[in-house]
Amino acid sequence: MSRIVMRFTGVGGQGVLLAGEIFAAAKIKAGGYGVKTATYTSQVRGGPTVVDIQLDDKEIFYPYAIDGQVDFMLSVAEASYKLFKNGVKEGGTIVVEPNLVHPTEEDRKKWNIVEIPIITIAKEEVGNVITQSVVALAIANTFTQALDEQILIDTMLSKVPKKVHELNLKAYELGKKYALEAMK
Amino acid sequence: MSATREVISSGNELSAMAAVDAGCMFFAGYPLTPSSEVMHVSSDLLPKKGGTAIQMEDEIAGICAAIGASMSGIRAFTATSGPGISLKAENLGLAQMAEVPLVVINVMRGGPSTGLPTRVSQGDVAQAKNPSHGDYKSITLCAGNLEECYTETVRAFNLADRFMQPIIVLLDETLGHMHAKAVIPTVEAVEADIKLRKTFDGPAEEYKPYGVAQDEPAVLNPMFTGYRYHFTGLHHDASGFPTEEIETCRKLIDRLFRKVEEHEDELESYEEYMLDDADILLIGYGSASLAIREAVNVLREQGVKAGMFRPITLWPSPEAKMHELGQKFDKVLSVELNMGQYLEEIQRSMGRLDIEKLVKVNGRPFSPADIIEKVKEVF
Repeated sequence: MSRIVMRFTGVGGQGVLLAGEIFAAAKIKAGGYGVKTATYTSQVRGGPTVVDIQLDDKEIFYPYAIDGQVDFMLSVAEASYKLFKNGVKEGGTIVVEPNLVHPTEEDRKKWNIVEIPIITIAKEEVGNVITQSVVALAIANTFTQALDEQILIDTMLSKVPKKVHELNLKAYELGKKYALEAMK
Repeated sequence: MSATREVISSGNELSAMAAVDAGCMFFAGYPLTPSSEVMHVSSDLLPKKGGTAIQMEDEIAGICAAIGASMSGIRAFTATSGPGISLKAENLGLAQMAEVPLVVINVMRGGPSTGLPTRVSQGDVAQAKNPSHGDYKSITLCAGNLEECYTETVRAFNLADRFMQPIIVLLDETLGHMHAKAVIPTVEAVEADIKLRKTFDGPAEEYKPYGVAQDEPAVLNPMFTGYRYHFTGLHHDASGFPTEEIETCRKLIDRLFRKVEEHEDELESYEEYMLDDADILLIGYGSASLAIREAVNVLREQGVKAGMFRPITLWPSPEAKMHELGQKFDKVLSVELNMGQYLEEIQRSMGRLDIEKLVKVNGRPFSPADIIEKVKEVF
């Protein structure tokens, strides 16, 4: 595969870092290279956070996503959406949480903006807001088809406690379902 | 090549793993962004091996406890970031003077002072050379990728025991926190390569820890094993007792230099990337080299013959090698995430001042594009 570059943005404390780690680890397990970098502020909670994920069959030397090369972005906070959206290539997909992120009309012309209420899904349908990172993981992979789904799910399960496996599987399924609906 | 294994990890985690695999049994420190994961992982791994990890009340206590542990004969380390090195400076001097082997991990962030806690920098390179007052010869290693966060930490432990002094390992926020695949030596390979400090096993009454050849480090037997010596930060004689005797004082400082300077071949480490046919020499280290390597690859695709020289042992610097490169290359660009701290060393080693520089001090990493643009601008 050619390089896939993804970016997850939110605010500190939302747990977007974990999704990045899962992607990178799953790609490496599948036999390739995956790199995750996270940039955040010194605020413990509330500061804009960005996680860049690069996946490739070839070795990746530079760990950060290069502006203009991001294929897919997912954002659950307005401040970080505004800060990091310009890294996305023209025509790239940006999934936003519509209750929290409000793209402009211009944005909608430049990028394929998709609205999925990620936090509401996690909170109300899965039943635990913490699962939003797994909902996001499912959405990202459904859009990008970056990785074999089973490898991604297995990697995800290896990183969460056993007692919440069912809950996270449910989160993954719901994320995938909403993504497929949005793609129709 | 020794046997390897593949892990998925971050630089900070790899550094802590390396310490444990290298036989270190003690960590004491104070959590400081962006180095905290070194402590987290140590506190998980060390007790499982029968070792100890302690969160101390502050940075100073962290290094003091590690010095004490090392004096008992075991391998010990601490980890912090630049502000912590500032606080530990006095005791880094003590470990230099009393010749206590110690590994100190510095995951660099923006400074001075509290600076930019979560942002990358290489601003502690000059500090690493002389963190404390007084004359001594520092040894500083600088990891340039995830693998080296592991291998340089392992090397630091062996060098600490060889040279009997603190060894600083520089990581930075990018390397400490980036998460990817690393191919590292197996635990068995690391263990097979462990070279512990020398001990004296003659009669206890003949034991003179500092009575060694002028190019050799002290021989400190573990405390409380019957080999008594005096431990002090004052100038001292062969048995460690304070003295102001003129020749003894001169010889002590002279030896602290010569034990390193006369064995620099054991310390030198660097990487040359695409230099054979290059016209343009880029010099950088640490995480900046990740962007430089990518820039070299892109420049070559565009027909520009660039190459990289990357020192891994920063102090003492590979001055002979840099001198040679200075003769070979007209076009030299130094790339650092500081205002040019190593540039001065490059200028000195090469014996010339016409080195171009690219610096960045806003807490953000270089992008390959920054470097490509600069190369095209100046050459």
